[in-house]
Amino acid sequence: MSLIEVENLSVTFRAKGREVRAVEGVSLTVAARESYGLVGESGSGKSTILRAICGMAPVTGGRIRIGGQVLPTPRGRAFSAQVQMVFQDPYASLHPRHTIDRTLSEPLAIHGVAGSDARVVQALTDVGLPPSFRFRYPHQLSGGQRQRVAIARALMLQPAILLLDEPTSALDASVQAEVLNLLDGLRRDRGLTFLMVSHDLAVIDHMCDRLLVMQHGRAVEELARDDLAAARMATPYARSLFAASADRMLEPAGGATE
Amino acid sequence: MTLLDVRNLRVTFQTETGPVQAVRGVSFSLGRERLGIVGESGSGKTITGRAVLRLIRPPGRVEADAMVFDGQDLLHATDREMRALRGKRIGMVMQDPKYSLNPVMTVGRQLTEGLRLRDGLGRADAGAKARAALEAVQIRDPDRVMDAYPHELSGGMGQRVMIAMMLIPEPDLLIADEPTSALDVTVQAEVLSILDALVRDRGMGLIFISHDLRLVARFCDRVLVMYKGRIVEEIAARDLMAARHPYTQGLLNCLPRIGGPRTPLPGLDRSGAWASGGAP
Repeated sequence: MSLIEVENLSVTFRAKGREVRAVEGVSLTVAARESYGLVGESGSGKSTILRAICGMAPVTGGRIRIGGQVLPTPRGRAFSAQVQMVFQDPYASLHPRHTIDRTLSEPLAIHGVAGSDARVVQALTDVGLPPSFRFRYPHQLSGGQRQRVAIARALMLQPAILLLDEPTSALDASVQAEVLNLLDGLRRDRGLTFLMVSHDLAVIDHMCDRLLVMQHGRAVEELARDDLAAARMATPYARSLFAASADRMLEPAGGATE
Repeated sequence: MTLLDVRNLRVTFQTETGPVQAVRGVSFSLGRERLGIVGESGSGKTITGRAVLRLIRPPGRVEADAMVFDGQDLLHATDREMRALRGKRIGMVMQDPKYSLNPVMTVGRQLTEGLRLRDGLGRADAGAKARAALEAVQIRDPDRVMDAYPHELSGGMGQRVMIAMMLIPEPDLLIADEPTSALDVTVQAEVLSILDALVRDRGMGLIFISHDLRLVARFCDRVLVMYKGRIVEEIAARDLMAARHPYTQGLLNCLPRIGGPRTPLPGLDRSGAWASGGAP
């Protein structure tokens, strides 16, 4: 049975008398311990699917099930213990006036989990940060360090599923590599399930087993990782996306690296 | 012809722990070409771009042996002369649309403000020109975007709005600070072709600041690689993928590749002599 099932999902925003259909009839399933990618241009609805799962977008049709259960609205504590999200911009997703300690211990306090002290230290160690960072503020950290804190925060309640919304696109190439390695290691060690959004096909290819190409709120094509690398896509849009990422292939024109 | 000449540029900021040199002796000259500046965050590439427009506020200090734009000395120009240059002759596309657009003005008003005040166009003419500029950056429904406030746009839309805004006055030099980093590959290609056309057809000079080496290699003519305020390597863009400098190589190697192995990505080794400021 699939851990995440999204069936015929539609999300419609209404603003100033206009309707914006951000997601229209998208279905996908993600198995436990799988890593699933969503790619597409901005406005294609890929982030909106993550937000809809979290109950942060107006779902107007379809069903979302986690572990076979239809999600309650509002989502509630059981949901946040199971599903957590890491946002794109670590500069905006951490509270600027809360210390790292407060950011990390808040979910524990809300859920009444004991031993917050030891858990915060452990969480920082797990994401490769020194425990001395506990009493710093976000502005005292670099972008990569902040994203590590955001990942630590998402893991505080030991969820089974991480929703990753462009987790590295605000980071430098070298820092991106570190954060991707960290995420990959955490997934392996803890058996996490990832649903990951990125506009970088190379990042998705590195991280995900399967991916869904989206355009204008609709699903265009689902691809396995091998199909992507071998350029076996059936639709013209997926092909054009792939062609535009030609410089992200293993051996770029003009010189291989290894 | 040299459009911009910068010799030994140094930018210093005062901090609690003493002065910090963000740019340490950068020299380059630019013709009517596409010059890329790449480096990680904190390498000084954005500050270099801002220093050219004298957008560094005191107590930040800009020093240089020379900084000349089209025969005009930028180091000693008055504030009035600088204002006349900014926007009209030297445009700058800022990095982050969230912080660079006015949050309480509609996009339409921001786009037409310059046209109406600077060029004295009427409301209808300015509106038509702004709409054309939005269409030129591949915005599908310019009317909706004109009426929208910046928070109602996605990051990619916001970035295109800023590019449109900078291209309206048709500057001679455009400093583009990560102009396409919030765009996805397909739109990115379109925006790059717009910039490319301006360099080719109008002879605009372009300083393209980016952390994306692959993009710069494909798009620019010449590339400066910066690390900690210094230029560590200057290289023709087509040779960038075969760069010899250990820092440039390290940056290239830590990128994931389609079809690449699932092993952990190599990190960047900063133990070489180049990292401490010595010669490579």
